[in-house]
Amino acid sequence: MANKTLQSLRAEGFLPKDRGTRLLRFSDLLRISFREVVRKRRRYIGVMAAIALGTAGLITIVTMGRDLKANLNNDLDLLGGATIIAAHFDLQMGDRQEWFRTGTIDAIEKIPGVKEVTKSRFRSAATTTFQEKVYGFNLLGVDTNYWSLFSFTPRYGRLFNDADISEGRKVCVLGQDLAKMIFGSPEGAVGQMLNLDNNLYTVVGIIGGVRAADKTLMAFLPITTAQARVPNISELSSLYVRCNTWDDVAPVAAALEKTITTYQPSKGLRIQVGWEPLKQVQRVFWWVSLFIYASIGATLVLGGFGIWNIMMAAVTARTREIGLKKAMGAEDSDILWQFLFEALCVTFSSALLGVALGMVGVQYMCRSLGTQPPEGLFAICLLAGLIFAAVLGVGSGLYPSIRASRMQVVDAMRYE
Amino acid sequence: MNNGHSDRVIDIRHLSKTYASGSEQIKVLKDINLEVNRGEMLAIMGPSGSGKSTMLFILGIFQPPTSGSYTIAGVDVLNLNRDAQAVFRREKMGFVFQSCDLLENSTVYENLELPLIYTGVKRHEREHKIMEALQRVNLEHRVRQPSNRLSGGERQRVSIARALVNEPEFILADEPTGQLDKDNSERVMDYFVKITEEARVAMVIVTHDAATAERCTRKCLLSDGVLKPY
Ligand SMILES: Nc1ncnc2c1ncn2[C@@H]1O[C@H](COP(=O)(O)OP(=O)(O)OP(=O)(O)O)[C@@H](O)[C@H]1O
Ligand SMILES: [Mg+2]
Repeated sequence: MANKTLQSLRAEGFLPKDRGTRLLRFSDLLRISFREVVRKRRRYIGVMAAIALGTAGLITIVTMGRDLKANLNNDLDLLGGATIIAAHFDLQMGDRQEWFRTGTIDAIEKIPGVKEVTKSRFRSAATTTFQEKVYGFNLLGVDTNYWSLFSFTPRYGRLFNDADISEGRKVCVLGQDLAKMIFGSPEGAVGQMLNLDNNLYTVVGIIGGVRAADKTLMAFLPITTAQARVPNISELSSLYVRCNTWDDVAPVAAALEKTITTYQPSKGLRIQVGWEPLKQVQRVFWWVSLFIYASIGATLVLGGFGIWNIMMAAVTARTREIGLKKAMGAEDSDILWQFLFEALCVTFSSALLGVALGMVGVQYMCRSLGTQPPEGLFAICLLAGLIFAAVLGVGSGLYPSIRASRMQVVDAMRYE
Repeated sequence: MNNGHSDRVIDIRHLSKTYASGSEQIKVLKDINLEVNRGEMLAIMGPSGSGKSTMLFILGIFQPPTSGSYTIAGVDVLNLNRDAQAVFRREKMGFVFQSCDLLENSTVYENLELPLIYTGVKRHEREHKIMEALQRVNLEHRVRQPSNRLSGGERQRVSIARALVNEPEFILADEPTGQLDKDNSERVMDYFVKITEEARVAMVIVTHDAATAERCTRKCLLSDGVLKPY
């Protein structure tokens, strides 16, 4: 009578039929594990605090890391202009200077990774007279998206809107120092009239923003107005392309040259990329990412080792209990689930605590930074916390649980 | 269960057990033959260290013998897989340990509930079964007591009640009355005799106590690894 299985014994009527109470047994095991963790809470309190704090830190780092990333993206980019590519046609000896055709610009806008394209016309050494004094400056005819591409903001008044461009209105924006020179003060300049080649332009605003420092002595007109009214204004020979991210810069720069040469004559084309700032920005960002991911890794590993350690110690310390349960008819899987549930109880409750703590931390930091916590933060944190807890619990609890379940009854009972 | 020898529960042939202790081989059981039928209560006596607990552990399928065969109701239990052995234990067998092990940090109720959980007894049926088992050992009033606040004798009685709660057909008890006073000891033995006669349970009891042994239907002596009628 070799190797009888459970099924055959049940079929013979030697053992009663399976009662189909698997679910009940599961819920009982879960209840017992939970009770066990609650009763032995002193043993778990250290590791629970570690995991909770780790999770809270993790959530804060991840959330704030995103904010940090966004801030870095803006700030570093504003300083270095790392994602902006400039394309110019140089003046050619004897030849006419080339300019960008509308078809070319349309094609450039369609290059993957391109966020915005803006064009400008330039005139050097323009002059104006105000109260019988003559002032010289450089003049730029610009599109509406010129401002957003370079992250310019109005310091006073406003910048050009779509109507200014499409209707070719006689308005202008001034650099801060130029406004001060002519009108005495930048804020006083808004609303004044600027005389330029016998045309009067209303000053609607003063340019501001991080990159405005090298534009303080310039005047801006809508590109359409400049084209129609300013003599000696240049052709459309300068183009600026802003890429979505730093990683897009190299491929866009390559595609840009190819696109321009396919669509039009490209004599004297010069493409400028700020490779050096780009490298620096990427380096800084690499360090930030490293820091973030190292923190995540450290939390996972530390919490995991804590639980693993406790569970391994528990398996040894509870050898008799395991033997007793097996003697009462616990299957290997019953013991496995009980220990795994205990590990999961610890990780889940500490992760939930950590999520709550992390939320408080993020709210507090957001309030002190004056930013808004990201949309759906709670759901994301909760999900991340639960996944984290499951991974941690299974990862660190599985091996000790398997070890416990494989124990022989008699070894466990003879153990002192 | 009705396969030829309807009353035969335990059938052991040429069973021996050798422990390896370092380089030494300790022969604890030598060529044991044993039969126990339904309605029979077998007392095993013998000096300390003679292998009585070893014998019970083998009977409970907690450890395999070194050689020999062991069938329960005609089923070769040594060749069952681990899960089948576990199911067999909880459906058919009750075991009282010599050390009266209870789950620590648990109440009497929780200790008795565990076998019912493994057997899959529905929650609302548990309380009744537990109280009934506790009544048999005169301990209903201790049902909510934590196990580590029980006296030695109370622990022993809880451990007996736990072995009975599933109404097993086959009970193995290692010195079940060792720590009990005369009254409680008699009460437990009364019940053992009752279920042996009425429910036709098969029982093997290891004991040092002559009075306990006297109430069994058959007595054996284990010494020098050999089991003899006594
Ligand atoms: N795992 C083991 N390895 C080696 N020797 C063992 C092992 N388990 C038990 N023994 C030895 O086997 C012998 C029998 O042990 P057992 O526990 O069966 O005795 P016992 O008859 O129950 O004694 P007592 O009446 O004191 O409870 C003892 O000498 C013991 O030291
Ligand atoms: Mg013993």
